[in-house]
Amino acid sequence: MGQSMSAVASETSRVGTQAAVAANGLVKVYGKGDTAVRALGGVSVEFQAGRFTAIMGPSGSGKSTLMHCLAGLDSSDGGSVHIGGTEITGLNDKDLTKLRRDRVGFVFQAFNLLPTLSAEQNILLGLELAGRKADKQWFDTIVDVLGLRDRLKHKPSELSGGQQQRVACARALVARPDVVFADEPTGNLDSRSGAEVLDFLRMSVRKLGQTVIMVTHDPVAASYADRVVLLADGHLAGEIQNPTADSVLSALKHLGA
Amino acid sequence: MLRTIIAGVRARTARLLLSSVAIMLGVAFVTGTLVLGDGITEGMRDEFAKSARGVDLSMSTTGEGPQAETGISQATLDKVRSTPGVQGADLRTVVGAAMLTQSGKAKPATVGPLASTPELREYDLKEGRYPTSPTEAAVDVRTLATAKVSIGQQITLLDKQDGKHPFTIVGTFAQGANSMSLAGSEHFVVLPEVMSGLTDELHAYGLVAKAAPGVTQEQLVADVKKAVGEQGYTFRTGEQLTTETLAQISSRSSEMTQVLLVFALIALVVAAMVIYNTFTILVAQRTRELALMRCVGASRGQVFGSVMAEAFVMGLFASVIGLLGGLGVSALMQVVIGAVSDDNIVVRLPLAPTTVLAAFAVGVLITVVAAFLPAHKATKVAPIAALRAQLDSHEEVARTSKVRIAFALLLGLAGVGVVAFGMNLDEEQALLVTGTGTMLLLAMVVTLGPVLVGPVNRVLGVLPRALFGVPAKLASGNAGRNPKRTAATTAALMIGVTIVSLVTVVATSAKETANAEVDSRFPADYTVTSSVGSRTLPQGMAAQLAAVPEVAKVAPVAAFGVPGPADGGAYLMATTPEMIGDLVKPKATSGAITGLKSGDVAVNSRFAERSGLAVGSTLTLGADATKRDLKVVAVVEGLDASGLVTLDTLRAFKPADDGFDSIMVKLRDGVTAEAGRTAVEKVTDPSPIAVIDSAAETKAQLNTQVDQVLAFIWALIGLAVVIALFGIANTLTLSVLERTRESALLRALGLTKGQLRLMLVVESVLMAVMGAAIGLVLGIGFGGLLVKGMSSDSFPIAFAVPYGQIAVMLLAAVVAAMVAAAMPARRAGRTSVVAGMAEA
Repeated sequence: MGQSMSAVASETSRVGTQAAVAANGLVKVYGKGDTAVRALGGVSVEFQAGRFTAIMGPSGSGKSTLMHCLAGLDSSDGGSVHIGGTEITGLNDKDLTKLRRDRVGFVFQAFNLLPTLSAEQNILLGLELAGRKADKQWFDTIVDVLGLRDRLKHKPSELSGGQQQRVACARALVARPDVVFADEPTGNLDSRSGAEVLDFLRMSVRKLGQTVIMVTHDPVAASYADRVVLLADGHLAGEIQNPTADSVLSALKHLGA
Repeated sequence: MLRTIIAGVRARTARLLLSSVAIMLGVAFVTGTLVLGDGITEGMRDEFAKSARGVDLSMSTTGEGPQAETGISQATLDKVRSTPGVQGADLRTVVGAAMLTQSGKAKPATVGPLASTPELREYDLKEGRYPTSPTEAAVDVRTLATAKVSIGQQITLLDKQDGKHPFTIVGTFAQGANSMSLAGSEHFVVLPEVMSGLTDELHAYGLVAKAAPGVTQEQLVADVKKAVGEQGYTFRTGEQLTTETLAQISSRSSEMTQVLLVFALIALVVAAMVIYNTFTILVAQRTRELALMRCVGASRGQVFGSVMAEAFVMGLFASVIGLLGGLGVSALMQVVIGAVSDDNIVVRLPLAPTTVLAAFAVGVLITVVAAFLPAHKATKVAPIAALRAQLDSHEEVARTSKVRIAFALLLGLAGVGVVAFGMNLDEEQALLVTGTGTMLLLAMVVTLGPVLVGPVNRVLGVLPRALFGVPAKLASGNAGRNPKRTAATTAALMIGVTIVSLVTVVATSAKETANAEVDSRFPADYTVTSSVGSRTLPQGMAAQLAAVPEVAKVAPVAAFGVPGPADGGAYLMATTPEMIGDLVKPKATSGAITGLKSGDVAVNSRFAERSGLAVGSTLTLGADATKRDLKVVAVVEGLDASGLVTLDTLRAFKPADDGFDSIMVKLRDGVTAEAGRTAVEKVTDPSPIAVIDSAAETKAQLNTQVDQVLAFIWALIGLAVVIALFGIANTLTLSVLERTRESALLRALGLTKGQLRLMLVVESVLMAVMGAAIGLVLGIGFGGLLVKGMSSDSFPIAFAVPYGQIAVMLLAAVVAAMVAAAMPARRAGRTSVVAGMAEA
């Protein structure tokens, strides 16, 4: 592993200059006493701004827990997490909520949208919660790139699975967050819709300078990323730069997955 | 399968318990009202039965012969007493007297004889002893409290001629319902021989006797008939007397039971809606679980059966608790009624088989029926589809069916028709028919509920959106996302509020009308009346009052029932000529009352109609020497007599006494009410019977009565409203569980815990206000219809809306909704984002 990342670096301006998200000795323990399980056993990892990183690992490796802790959705039991230079470990619930709303975007595997709101209202929900106005031009750009223009007035139940995920992507990007976390964003989609969503996520990094961290167990999805971080039993187990589906698959085999 | 059901019930204990609360409350209310009705009937029965207890023979006058006038004589009593087979006999009679209070004022009192045969007494000794000497008396325990007398104290009774009779109180008694206790004044029992001293005309209305041992009631009756003769008397055996007395009561108490049944019915409907709603949600949430059971091999019937069995168990369990709760509710209501009516009521909890049956019918049947539809729907879904489906009930929101609209239309047409029909009927029938019509209209609105929810929600949502922004916007969306569920949840509250506001509007209208009536009929500041109905005010008092410097005008009023030359007489009211049209001013519908002279009469419109009189015709009254022709100069309304004449006209008919029934007093301008009252009291104080009524006091007295009835109805319906609010809490809790993932998503996107809680509170308030607002609009509208229907030309009722009480109701709904949201909101706030996202 370890191909050069210069090809990517030349296309973006923010690469490598600073870490958008960083974890240092991150520990997460579930349960107490004899039944305690160390889901994360001291993970230190950095995610550069303007890059598309995939977190991979077999089931139970702690990849979802890592993402939850990085995004401030879950508390950690040791170590620290920084988002854009702010230490989030130790923030109270209110500040964490504010941080998520202002600086983090999310795309989940399913159930991304509120059924009572239209596509447009869903896209703007995060901004509204923060009491911010949407940048009209930026909103139009995202909506057009994602091909959602004629779907804006529809309720989620009137959209296909792929369209729903694209609305979720638009919502994640519209607030120009420091980082977008995507948790198995293609897990519920057919391969064509999945490819569209992944294409968009990669494009948002390359063309729009967004930072994306994606949790997935699908080697093909991971191959869209610039870098793959491998996790096993709550510890870092290596990484792959400029991965392909094959290189990811063989790395996973080495992990015994 | 049984094991799966039991495991299921165990696993969801908390959720099922919550849903059971709705059933329990419903059952409790229905049984509570039924038990209360039975209790009241039983109480009345026992009270009335006291007058028949111990009696083996009862004799009363038939209304023919000399004894009809004089009552049963002492001689007859002696004859009965000496008849073989009679162990003891006593006369039943009461005498009206006046009791002097410590302030020197008289209060009406009723005095009865102490039966010499202890078994024939209609009352029970409570404290002390019965009188044994002519200067001793026993007093009713109620009098003890109201007249503030105590054992050992001296009291004075006044006879008709103001003769004073002092008595020492030696004991207290409690009595049932009889001619004395129903008279509604202070009650005393004295030795029989004292009675004749209190009055010239002792009229014994009945005689009761007890048989000697071994003598049957029939034999006793036959023997006594022989001894005193049958002419002019009616004889009954004790058993016949009991049966007749009880027959009288059932007709009285059945009215009360009917009223309570109406409330029970309302509670039933409300409870049924809450239960149905709860089950719909419960089963909808379990669609996936049920599908899994299908996938692992359970048949459709087994799955269906398991849901029904669960409903059955839950209904049974809740019914038992509800039944016990109902007994508690009934006991509480009786204590409350007792406290309000100032009566020492014994709490009775008769549990009739029909009550138990009703409890289980409500609890079990409604629960099972409520579970049937959702269970049927759940099992119709293909297992795999159900497993894959997203758990969100908004998908099951069906379009409003045409059947629903058609049904609502039918109800509406029927309602309008019945109301229109009721409008043309007389007062009481109008109330019944128009009331039924409004209930049909209410049913229409309930049916249309799911259609109304959307628009009403949008209108009501405007204010919270403006105030609270995004959370309120989300809440409004949630309240409107499943119109059927929201409609069913709010319908319960809507029905309760409709009934409460309807009753309140009708009562307020009646009260306001009565007050206006008092105002127009009593233009005077004070009315001096006699506290003892049978005794009039002395003639000189009018002149004395007129001489008081603070007094501007005085109108002495006398009234007398003048016999007619043939049959029909007339009850005439009279005052001085100059006061007619001044302080005494009934509304003239034709002719004019001002300038009414001696020999003229202004007749009441109803009397005029009955006697075929009009302005210009002649009314002949009196007999023999007093026979006179009166000229009808006006037809009036709002007169408490057949006709209004001058005092000399009345005197010409030689009334029994020449005193006044009342004296109206108008103060000079600028005299304060206090100064005026003090001045008037100087004149009235020396007279034991003169009391001062002011219009304000009369109104207050009227209003207290209406308010008491209203308070009772508020309490009854209040229970239905409590059930409805539990329904809201229930729906909200289940919705929160259902929307766990959605809440987690919102939290992830930046909704704070506080905002999440706010969202739920706003949703709850929106639902409550929706129900309350529609209920208020309907209640006020229906109230208006009822008032219009009951109102007639002779008795117009003005429509009045109690804005204060309505504001209280709305506020109460908002506060209650916030309380209802507290638990679910706490729960929603506690769930961690990650755990919520993981929820299937």
